[in-house]
Amino acid sequence: MNLRPALENLEPVRKKVAKSKIYGFSFLGLGVLLFLLLFFALQLDPLIAIGLAAAPVVTGFIILSIASNAAATYRNTFKREVIATALRTIDPTLQIQPAYGIEEQEFIDAQLFNKIPDRYHTEDLVTGKSDKTPFYFAEVHAEYKTETQTKNGRREHWHTILKGIVFVADFNKHFDGLTLIQPRSLAGSFGAWFSKNIYSFGEQQVVELESPDFSREFIVYSTDQVEARYLLTPAMMARICVLNNRCKETISLSFFNSKMYIAFPLANNCFEAPVFRSLLANDVLRRDLELIGFMFGIITELDLNTRIWTKQ
Amino acid sequence: MILPLVIAAILIFALIGFYNSVVRKKNQVTNAFSAIDVMLQKRFDLIPNLVETVKAYARYESSTLEKITGLRSKAMAGTTGPAEKAALDQQIGTAVKSIIVNSENYPELKANSNFQNLQITWTESEEQTAAARRHYNSAVTDYNNGIMTFPGNVLAGILNYTPLPVLAVAEAERQAPNAKALFNN
Repeated sequence: MNLRPALENLEPVRKKVAKSKIYGFSFLGLGVLLFLLLFFALQLDPLIAIGLAAAPVVTGFIILSIASNAAATYRNTFKREVIATALRTIDPTLQIQPAYGIEEQEFIDAQLFNKIPDRYHTEDLVTGKSDKTPFYFAEVHAEYKTETQTKNGRREHWHTILKGIVFVADFNKHFDGLTLIQPRSLAGSFGAWFSKNIYSFGEQQVVELESPDFSREFIVYSTDQVEARYLLTPAMMARICVLNNRCKETISLSFFNSKMYIAFPLANNCFEAPVFRSLLANDVLRRDLELIGFMFGIITELDLNTRIWTKQ
Repeated sequence: MILPLVIAAILIFALIGFYNSVVRKKNQVTNAFSAIDVMLQKRFDLIPNLVETVKAYARYESSTLEKITGLRSKAMAGTTGPAEKAALDQQIGTAVKSIIVNSENYPELKANSNFQNLQITWTESEEQTAAARRHYNSAVTDYNNGIMTFPGNVLAGILNYTPLPVLAVAEAERQAPNAKALFNN
């Protein structure tokens, strides 16, 4: 499937949006310059300087506000037409729903992270099926809030729990409990030691696994020691390590409700239409295509299509 | 006057802590062993059905079937320890695998849906048993470390706790418990 026609159709729209934005910012800049000139160079009364500079500033804002509506339509069209076509080039079952994502409750239930989000945003849900295994993934930005007392009252601080992608696939074995695989950190290691040797909070226990490579990267908690090992066979641990090595930051995984959840922290927003770069540039979709290919490949990489157990 | 009391209190608390930890580790080993037992029981429960199904189609396998039945009775006798039980399970596993492989020679048996379900359930039970064995080994290692290092070794001497052997894991199991290859035969 060729992406070129879809990109060519959208390129004039991109140019229009870019032009509007440039005009808008130019008017804003002009207003600021005018104010500086009138106030500092000509030493006019500040109110008169502001009054005269207001005209280009207001014009700039109006242009930018119109441009932002056009930009939103452009971004949506990009996802619906270009990304949707790109997905089909990788596999015909892949579909994108830009306005949907992973429900916040599902994110909380999967317990990929210890913190419960105070602010949650999700978009760009991609669904598909690789052979026997249905899967979906979406962008997620989850944050929690802390507050500090300052002289001027309370101040809020927002901290990121995850900015990246949550990938969910139907797992090929039956299980009833909850098993979590979290990146090993100093605090996590101490917590694991504490819960193993001193006192364990909650239902989950630390699971000590045999693979040194796996245990160096991850700490495993589970409600069932045997089930955790049934899910994390030596082969599965090796495959998770391979997958993790391909990522810049350590991934988190959880097995819950018959599904496998994987959180991939990512620095960049995905599937976003470029505004100031041509859509016809050769590598415009390279990063997005690589990401989709990577996500699609997880099923094969983790061998989730092998259905030789009672779950078919 | 206060300092010796504080030191004595800390020592008593540490002693209680170590004692509890060693006992907890020992209990974990017992629990882990019963988890293997539960899994093996599930596995052995499949055998009568498997034997009946195979018997109807593959008369030539009667000696293997008799062997499996005999091994099952032995394993279920209740007097076997962890190592013996594991060895018996391994023998049963090898015999069942040979039936699955030989099912190629009996097309009617191979096509039988009950037999197919039994194969799948058998594979699942095999991995569940392997998981239970790994859990047992992990609990044993933890317990052995606890009673062989200071101050656990002092307590172990008093309590008469001795190190336990871990269960040997079959080479195939250690690599990748994946019955895919077997099914492709």
